[in-house]
Amino acid sequence: MTTTTTGPIAYVEGLAKHYGSMGHPPYQWTINTDAPWTSLTRPLSQCRVTMLTSGGISLCNMPAFDPMARNDHRLDAIPVTAGSTDFQIHDSYYDHRDADQDINCQFPIDRLRELASSGEIGSLAPRFWSGFMGRIYNRSKVLTESGPAFADELKRDGVDLLIAVPA
Amino acid sequence: MGLVCRVVEEAGIPTVCLSTGRDLTQQVRPPRSVFVNFPMGNAFGAPFDSGSQMAILRAVLACAVTAREPGTLTDLPLTWPKPFALEPGKSRM
Repeated sequence: MTTTTTGPIAYVEGLAKHYGSMGHPPYQWTINTDAPWTSLTRPLSQCRVTMLTSGGISLCNMPAFDPMARNDHRLDAIPVTAGSTDFQIHDSYYDHRDADQDINCQFPIDRLRELASSGEIGSLAPRFWSGFMGRIYNRSKVLTESGPAFADELKRDGVDLLIAVPA
Repeated sequence: MGLVCRVVEEAGIPTVCLSTGRDLTQQVRPPRSVFVNFPMGNAFGAPFDSGSQMAILRAVLACAVTAREPGTLTDLPLTWPKPFALEPGKSRM
């Protein structure tokens, strides 16, 4: 830790500098001026919820993610009953030493299960998700292929609300 | 990830994104996002701090209920206890 910060980190500038120093051209970030919208139509206590992480998190009985992956559209379905100590994390993009100890600080599956048990949310879908790891440069594939295919899977599970946690 | 949220939302399923990169999220503009000024990798706080994890998760869920405007970005009033920095490539694999 060399720099201290009080406000939000300037990731756009910082990442351009970092990758620029490695000889990469500046990443052309998507800049959107509007956003799509679907209203939540029922109270949380009746919603079926699931969660997606892009943090290179996989079950120990699955192959590890490639920590240096580029354009990896891999998407793992994770059984909703998976044990919170049954995960491995492989991603060079962020510091996951804390999440290695407790997956819930990045992918809070135990907390979600508690909310489902207490009835604060209606239910959990049968599958959590891990994929769309960082550094996807072929973004049109997300928009036209891997993203819509993921949405179809969520519909198959009757999902009312997706929580997405980038890393 | 913001792009994925946009695609899923367009397909008819509401989404909330929990971001630790405020400027990145502002650019991609997912339908609903919550920003927490914590290190990337600690979006829900510290390990074994189930109280904070739950509080942040509840804030994310609340955003799904309260947000009305497409592109809503809600800042959580939380402070990470130690200074932190952007250090790509220096973290463990």
